[in-house]
Order: sequence, then C-alpha cells, then structure tokens
Amino acid sequence: MKEPTPPAPDNAEKWEVQLRKGSLELAILAALWEGRLYGLEILRHLEANSDLIVVEGTVYPLLSRLRALGLVESQWVESDSGHPRKYYRLTDAGRLRAVEMARIWARFSASMNDLLSPLIRETKKELRKEEP
Amino acid sequence: MTPTAESQKTIDAYLAALRKQLRDLMDEDVKDIVEEIRTHILDKTSGDDPADSVPCTLAALGTPEELASRHRTEGLLKRARMARSPGYLVRSLLRWAALSIAGIIVFLISVLGYCLGGGLFILGALKLISPHKTGIWGVFTSHNWSLAFQSGGQNGGKDLLGWWLVPIGLILGGALLFLTFRFGLWSIRKFWRPRAWR
Repeated sequence: MKEPTPPAPDNAEKWEVQLRKGSLELAILAALWEGRLYGLEILRHLEANSDLIVVEGTVYPLLSRLRALGLVESQWVESDSGHPRKYYRLTDAGRLRAVEMARIWARFSASMNDLLSPLIRETKKELRKEEP
Repeated sequence: MTPTAESQKTIDAYLAALRKQLRDLMDEDVKDIVEEIRTHILDKTSGDDPADSVPCTLAALGTPEELASRHRTEGLLKRARMARSPGYLVRSLLRWAALSIAGIIVFLISVLGYCLGGGLFILGALKLISPHKTGIWGVFTSHNWSLAFQSGGQNGGKDLLGWWLVPIGLILGGALLFLTFRFGLWSIRKFWRPRAWR
C-alpha cells in the first residue's frame, strides 16, 4: 500500500509565521503597558521578551494605525543622542483595548490548550524517547 | 557611531525615495514619517554590531516603496476615518478597490452615486441659470418614446418637470451626494480590514 504523503513542511512554517504576525498588535500594546517607548525600544522589547517575528518595516505603519485608532499617542522628545525621538504611550482607550485583547487571548489559548492536550502529551512522549 | 559619508549618502537616498513615494499624503504626515525612520536608522546603526549596519537596517525596513505602501494605506484610512474629507474618502476607496473585490464594489457604487447625485444637482442649478435651455425632455409617440437631459430644448418634446427640476435636482442631488459619501465612510469603517502584515 502506498504510504500517505506527509504535508509540505513549509505549510506549518507559514502558519506559524502568520500566527506570530497576527499577535503583533497585542504585543505592541503590551510592550507599552509599563510606560512610553520609542519605535526601536518597542522592537528591542519584543525581540527580547517574545517569540514574535518582528519585521521593522511593519512596526511603524502599525504604530501609525494604532495612533489613528486612538489607542496610542505619540510625542517627539529631545534626547541625548543628538536627535529627537518619537515616543508612544497608551491612551485610556488603548489600555482598555489591551486588557480586552489579553482577556480574549487568555480564554482562547486556554481552550486551545485543552483541545490540544492529547497532542501535547504525545509530543512530550516523543521528545522523551529521543532523549539519550 | 557617526555614519560615514558614504552611509549618510545611502540613508539620504533611501529617505528621499521614501518621501517621494509618500507624496500623496499630507506634508505634515510625510515629514513625521520620514523623521521617525531617520531616527530609527541613526539609533539602530549607532552601535558596532555588523547586524545593525546601514544596509542591514535598510533591508529590514523594506524598500521605500514597500514601507510607503504600508504607511499610505494606513494614512489614507486614518484621514478617511478622522478627517471625513470627501477627497480623502475617494482616494481611500480607490486604494481599497485596488486591494479587494469588496473595495471594487464599494468604489463602483460610490462612483454611480456621485455621478447621479452630481448630475441632478448640476441640472437643478442650471435650470435656475438658463431655464429655457435646461430640462428633462420627453418625446412620446404611439411607436416609441425618448427621454433626454438636454440643454437647448427638445423639438416637440415636453419639459417633464419644469421648475420642479430646481428643488428636485438640488435636494435629491444633494441628498444623493451626501448619502453616497456616508455609504463610502460606513463601508470603510465596517468592512475595511488592513491586509496581513508582511
């Protein structure tokens, strides 16, 4: 009998990339939760604290959109580096939206974890077998 | 680390190309975007890490065309949502039409509404200026009939609305223009979803 053809490996990778990118808006709101940051600081914060794929060219237009939606506000501030920097911070509406999105995320991920628990157990077993 | 003369030239060329690509946005927005990207490049390339060299930094930002395209879409959307300007709305609809079927449908309905509303409004106004040469003329015979929006009168035809063309044209045309504008704005707010970030 013919062996079933495994799915193309790049499909899973593409799905993972889309999943990470789709989380970027929430991640940016979360990065600004503690206080104001400028664009590069947001990028570095996300790179250091998340598993997201952050493409620099997408962050600034996304910040622009969040500003247009009234979720963040920006201000140019003089710095020691010799040039001013544009800082972003959450508005009250942005804080509310971040909390709402975080709640949705937590509920969704918990239900997915329940659904995926048999698969996760299986994956852990396989990993243990591979260990020397 | 201060950029070398050659790096500075590369940065300036990139920013000039970006500025050019953003030329259909408001001057204030263009200046803001370009300055923010300039500070990003300067901050990113200020260390000694080769991964943060000028070419790598510019590559991470994407080409000026790609970066401008993302900003332009958001910028037009912002203007359409915030400024409520018919000009920006039409440009936003045009851009939306280039991106999706839904955009094409909304754009075509808007064009139809604007043409019909504008036409009626102009007819109403023209009737005031030149009453004998403006009207909706109908010619009815036993075999056929025709209807014409005509300047100069229709031989043997009947001016169907007479002076009623003024209030009907102005009010109906104005209302149609307003409703078309509101429809475009509502559609953008309701259905426009920015494309997945690339």
